[in-house]
Amino acid sequence: MVDPLTIEATQREEFGKNAARRLRAAGRIPAVVYGGDAPPVALSLEPRKLAPLLHSEASRNTVFTLVIGGKAPARVMLRDWQVEPVHGALLHVDLVRVTKDTKVRVRVPIHVTGEAKGVKVQGGIFEFVLREVEVECLPEAIPESVTIDVTDLVIGRTLRVSDLPLSPEVKLLTDPSRVVAHVVALKAEEKPAAEAEVAEAAPTEPEVIRKGKTEESAEEADKSEKKEAKKGSEK
Amino acid sequence: MLMPSKVKYRKQQRGRMRGKAWRGSSLSFGDYGLKAIEPGWITARQIEASRVAIMRFIKRGGKLWIRVFPDKPVTKKPAETRMGKGKGAPEFWVAVVKPGRILFEMEGVNEADAREALRLASHKLCVKTQFVGRSAGH
Repeated sequence: MVDPLTIEATQREEFGKNAARRLRAAGRIPAVVYGGDAPPVALSLEPRKLAPLLHSEASRNTVFTLVIGGKAPARVMLRDWQVEPVHGALLHVDLVRVTKDTKVRVRVPIHVTGEAKGVKVQGGIFEFVLREVEVECLPEAIPESVTIDVTDLVIGRTLRVSDLPLSPEVKLLTDPSRVVAHVVALKAEEKPAAEAEVAEAAPTEPEVIRKGKTEESAEEADKSEKKEAKKGSEK
Repeated sequence: MLMPSKVKYRKQQRGRMRGKAWRGSSLSFGDYGLKAIEPGWITARQIEASRVAIMRFIKRGGKLWIRVFPDKPVTKKPAETRMGKGKGAPEFWVAVVKPGRILFEMEGVNEADAREALRLASHKLCVKTQFVGRSAGH
């Protein structure tokens, strides 16, 4: 999955949260590039250029060119990134250098096609348990996604990692016995009226954990705690 | 309604809700979710009302995850009681929610149904919310 995308970055001289905030206010984000034979370099770059890579799960393993200060282009890929929790703005990215002959470990998204028989005919619910799988391969051979057809999936049958169609160049690192997807039978949602009433009448207070004390002694302990607190406040 | 089965202390202080929800702010289980965009206390009743609204709308099919749990007791003094004489009795349970927190997640329904179900659920809550999805454009 090699892309002709080139991103320009500048080396960062200032560190710490104050400098990082100033950088973000100026429309750039802090970043770091590491890996390969070269030492790690702190960078600043424009987040808009990286946005298309983070837009979909499939493009997150794209290998692209990083130019630092107009010289020494390096092939890199995204290793990690931080986003703001409310608006999803990019805050920081980790880039890792890759070489053509060194294998990389990446997480590849799993896509399902078709409608499972267990849902269509038997009326079950399709559960997509594992959405990505970890693989090891050369940067040139990174699959965009792993697609699997779930049409024959019925209630009680499970699709596992070992069932995924992967090319021989790609080595699977995730446990092959892990469940990717299955169809489960629908549970009755509505509770009977009597049961609902019982639930309403259930005690509103949970049990208080106390070591080796009965309820009465617990109450006494509560009272003594209050007295001590009062004394403390009087002092 | 949701509440803890065991607690170490019956009553808690109120606390503050500063900052954003750096944990629990991305979709972990489903395809669509409801994200809080302001802080607040969501009561166990509100969570249950939202759950019922979602399940009634999607009828059958679809799976729901509730990503918040009301583990904070809120006390209240009885009506017409003079001030003092200690803290009141625990009255209800709340989940402390900060901006960015995913409240519900859904799977097994199309986007239009998920949007409508989560819209109905958002009307039962005391915080402003936003629909989020895994696919591009959300």
